[in-house]
Amino acid sequence: MAQGPVQLAPGLISFLKSLKTTPADPSVEHLTSLLKRRQIRNSRPCAIATTALMLRVVGEFKGRDAAKLVERIRQVGRRLTAAQPREVVVGNIVRRVLGLVREVLDDNTGGDSHTGSDAGHHTPAHHDSMVRPTLSSSISTFSPLRHAAAEPMDASMTSDMSDSSDLHRRPPLLTSHTSYAPTTSAPLVNSLFGLFSQPDDSNASTPTGAASPDGKSAHSLNLERLADLSRSTNIDLKSEVMDGIRELQDELEQSDEQIAGVALEHIHSNEIILTHTASTTVQKFLLSAAKKRKFTVVHAETYPHDNTATHGILLTGRKRETRLDEDDDPWKPLTAAGIPVYVIPDSHVFAIMSRVNKVILATHTVLANGGLVAAAGAHMIAKAAKEHQTPVVVLSGVYKLSPVYPFDIDELIEYGDAGRVVPYEDGEFVDKVDVEHPLYDYVPADLVDLYITNLGGHAPSYLYRIVADHYRTEDITL
Amino acid sequence: MSGPIEGEAVAAPAAPPQAPNDQAIPAAPAKADPKGTKPAEDGASKKLSGADLKKQKQLEKQAKRAQAKATAPAATQQGGSPKEQKQKEQKQSQKKDEARPLPIRRRPSQSGAVPQQQAKKESKRDQKNLGLFFGHLYSQPRQHSMVGASKDVHPAVLALGLQYSSYVICGSTARMVAMLLAFKAVIESYQTPVGTSLARHLTNHHLSPQIDYLRGCRPLSISMGNAIRWLKDLIIKIDPSTPEAEAKRDLVEEIDMFIRERVTAAQKLIRDQAATKILPGDVILTYASSSIVEQTLLQAHKAGVPFTVIVVDSKPLFEGKTLARKLANQGITVRYYLITGASHAVKDASKVFLGAHAMMSNGRLYSRVGTALVSMLARSQSLPVLVLCESVKFTEKVALDSIVGNEVAPADEILSEAERASLLPLELHLPATHPSRNKSDHDKFAAADDAKSGPLDVLKWVEGSDNLHHLQVLYDVTPAEYINMVITEYGSLPPSSVPVVHRLSTNT
Repeated sequence: MAQGPVQLAPGLISFLKSLKTTPADPSVEHLTSLLKRRQIRNSRPCAIATTALMLRVVGEFKGRDAAKLVERIRQVGRRLTAAQPREVVVGNIVRRVLGLVREVLDDNTGGDSHTGSDAGHHTPAHHDSMVRPTLSSSISTFSPLRHAAAEPMDASMTSDMSDSSDLHRRPPLLTSHTSYAPTTSAPLVNSLFGLFSQPDDSNASTPTGAASPDGKSAHSLNLERLADLSRSTNIDLKSEVMDGIRELQDELEQSDEQIAGVALEHIHSNEIILTHTASTTVQKFLLSAAKKRKFTVVHAETYPHDNTATHGILLTGRKRETRLDEDDDPWKPLTAAGIPVYVIPDSHVFAIMSRVNKVILATHTVLANGGLVAAAGAHMIAKAAKEHQTPVVVLSGVYKLSPVYPFDIDELIEYGDAGRVVPYEDGEFVDKVDVEHPLYDYVPADLVDLYITNLGGHAPSYLYRIVADHYRTEDITL
Repeated sequence: MSGPIEGEAVAAPAAPPQAPNDQAIPAAPAKADPKGTKPAEDGASKKLSGADLKKQKQLEKQAKRAQAKATAPAATQQGGSPKEQKQKEQKQSQKKDEARPLPIRRRPSQSGAVPQQQAKKESKRDQKNLGLFFGHLYSQPRQHSMVGASKDVHPAVLALGLQYSSYVICGSTARMVAMLLAFKAVIESYQTPVGTSLARHLTNHHLSPQIDYLRGCRPLSISMGNAIRWLKDLIIKIDPSTPEAEAKRDLVEEIDMFIRERVTAAQKLIRDQAATKILPGDVILTYASSSIVEQTLLQAHKAGVPFTVIVVDSKPLFEGKTLARKLANQGITVRYYLITGASHAVKDASKVFLGAHAMMSNGRLYSRVGTALVSMLARSQSLPVLVLCESVKFTEKVALDSIVGNEVAPADEILSEAERASLLPLELHLPATHPSRNKSDHDKFAAADDAKSGPLDVLKWVEGSDNLHHLQVLYDVTPAEYINMVITEYGSLPPSSVPVVHRLSTNT
C-alpha cells in the first residue's frame, strides 16, 4: 500500500469507496481481483470487504425468491473464495450471510410461510414434516405461532400480510434498494432474536446435520424447501438479511473491543507476555490491560513477512492497512501506555521463553478442531511455550472461526514472496537455492490452552460448538 | 558455528595489520566534528551537551594519543610500567562506550557509514533499563576500534580484534584458530624483558593485554577460553632454563600441533564419521552455518551420496546464506528457509545436523540463537538431531537457560537499512508525545526536507521511546533431551557423556 492517505491505492479503503458507487457485479469482480493480487489481505480487511460486498449484493438482489438469493450469495461466495481460498475469512462471512438468510426463513417458516405454493391451500405441516421429520418438534419450541395458529386463520393472515408486504416491497425494488430498510421493523425483531441467541437456534439447527449427514442431499432438499417457501414468501427477506449483515458489520467492528474487555481477567501484574506479529486485536487487548496493570511485553518481529508491520505497530500503535476510519480513534502504542516492549528476532523465542509467563498469539484463522492458522513462527512459539509449560492464549474474533477442518494442512498455508527472504539482487543465490517463504503456520489444538473470542474464553476442544452455532451445516460446502 | 576456518583464518592475521592503522586514526577526528554540530538538533541528548563537549575533548585527546601511538607501534614496548598501563586502560574503558570511532566496521545490516549514531546509541543504553532479561550482559562495553587498546597489543591481535567485532571472523573454531595464529605472531615477536623469565612474564604481562583487548572486541568463545587456558598452562610449564629462542620455537610448534590435532584432525574424524550418517535420499536440515557441518555435507556429496539439504537461517548474521551458497555451488540441492518457516522445513527433513559453539557439561548445547527452536521442532517430528562438535569446544560450564550466560549483539541491527526505510512513512503516525515526533515536526518547519529524514531516524524513534527496546543475543541453550547424538573426534556419544569426554580431553 502506498504511504499516507493516498486513497487511490488499491486496497480495502479504495474498495469500500468504490463500492458505494459501483453495482454489485463489478464490485465482485473488483474484490476478486484485489484478493487475487493480495491487495486486500489478512483476516480483518477481508472480512470487512466481504461483508460490505455482501450487503451490496443482497441489496441489489431483485426478486423475492429466497432460494435464488441463497444461490446468488453462494455463487458470489464461490467466486470470492476461489480468488483467494486461504483467506478463509471470506468464506466464513459468506457462510454467515447464508446462515442469516436461512435463519430469516426459518423464523418465518414456523409462522406464516407454509401456506401452499399457489393458492395457499397446502398443508404446510405435512410438507415440512416430510422433509425434516426430526425437526418438527424442535421447531415448535421456538416458533410458538406454529401450533397456536389454526390452519385457516393462518392462511388468511398470511394472505393478508403478503398483500401488504407486496405493496411495500415492489416499489423499492424498482427504484432504490437501500431506502426501505427502516420500513421493516416488525420482522427485524424476529431476525435479531435468531441472530444473537445462538444456543437456542443452533440446538434446533444442528440436528439438521445429524438427521441428514450427507451434505449434498441436505442441501438439495433444503433448496427445494426454500424454493417452495419462497414462492409465496411474503416476509421482507431482503431487508432482514441486510439488517443481519449490518449486525455482522457491527460485530466485526466491536469484536476487538469485546476481546479487550476481558483483558484484565487474563493479565496480572508484572507478567511477561510474549506475542508476535502485528495484530490490532492483540495490541488492543494489551492496551486495555495496560490501563490498570503493569506488565512487560516481548514481541517477536515475524521476520521477514510481518516485521515492518510489527515495528510499525510498536512505534505508532496502528497498522497501516486498517487505518480506515480509525483516525479519530486515539489509540496509541503500548509503549506510550508505559508498558516496556522488547522486540526480539524470532530465533530468540526459545531463549526468552523461560522468562515468559504467558504467550498471546494473534491468528489468521481458527479452525473447527481448535487448531489455528497464524503468522509464520506461531507454531514454534506455541511449541516452545508448551515445552516450558507456558500457557498459550489465542485471541480471535468469532468471524475468524471457520467451519473448515484441517484435513490437509498444507492447503491452508500460503507461500509468500521469496524475494523478502533473499532479495532478488542476489541473483546467483536465488538461482541455485530454493528459497521458501511460508507466510502461515498451522498450530495444532493441543498447543493452545485458551481461546478468547468476542463471546468469551473457550477451551480449544469447545470450538466446534461455536462453529455449529454460527454456521449452518448446509453451508459448509459453499 | 564456524565460518571459513583454514582459508580466512590463516590469511587474516597475516595480511591486514597495516591497514587498520591507516584507517582507524583518521576516523576518530572525523567523527568528533559531526558530533559537535549534532547535539543542537538531537532532542534526546540535548541535556547532555555539556558533558558531551567534555567527552569530545577527551576523545580528541585520545585520538591524538592513539595516533602518536600508532606511528611507533610495537617499538616502544617499555614505554610505561604495567601499572601505568592498567590505569590508562581503566580510564579508557570508562570512555569506551562513548568514544567509538568505528573504523572499518562492516556489519551485515549496515552498509552505509553510521558511526555517530552508533556511539550515541551505546551511551544511551545505560539510561535505558535493559535489566529485565540480559541486563547483566551489558556491563562490559564492546570495543569496535583500536582506540584505547593497550599499546602492548600486537598489531596482528589488533587486526584480529577488529575482525572479531565486525563478525568477519565468526564461529567459535575459526575464532580460536585465528587467535592462536595471532598469538603465534605475538610469541615470535616477543622478547623477554631483562630481569624476568619468559614463563612468568609472557602469560601475565604480555599475553593478558592481548586477551583483554580481544575480549573487549567480542566476548571470548568457549573454545578460545579453552585454548588460552591450554596455552598459559604450556607457557608456565616451560623450564626457565630453556633459551628464549628455543622456548619460543617450542611454543609455536605446540600451537601448530594443537591446531592440527584438536581442530584439523578432529574435524576430519568428525566429518568422516558424520558423513556416514548421511544416507541416500536423506534430507539434512541444518541451522545457520557451521564449518564442520559444511565439511560433512561436502564430504558426503563427494562420496556420491544423493541427498538434499535444508538450510534454516535467521537474523542477525544470516550465516546460513553463506553455507547455502557454498553447498549450492558444489551442486547440492539446497532449500533455504528463515527461522519463521522452520516448522515447515522440519516436516520435510529426515535428519538434523547442528554445529556447536560449545557443549555444556550438563549435556546442553550452546549454539547460535535459534538452534534450540530447530532442535525442538525436530524432536517433535521425531527426527534425529546430531551435533557435530570438536572436543575443544567442550566446557565444564553448565547452563540451564539461555539468559544467564550469553552474548548480546548490537540491538539496532534488528532493523536493517531496508526495514528502516520501509518504516519511514510511519513518521506521521508516531504518537504526538514522542520526542522525535516533535523534533521532526520542528525540522519540517525549519526546512522542508523529506530527504533528510533518512533511515537513521527510525533508529532514533526506537531510541526515543522510553519503553521500546530492541533485544538481540547471539546464542541459546538447547536442552539435552533434544539432542540424540554428539559426534566428536572421540566418537559418537549421547549428550550426557560430554563431561566425561571433556575430562578425557583436558587430562591428556
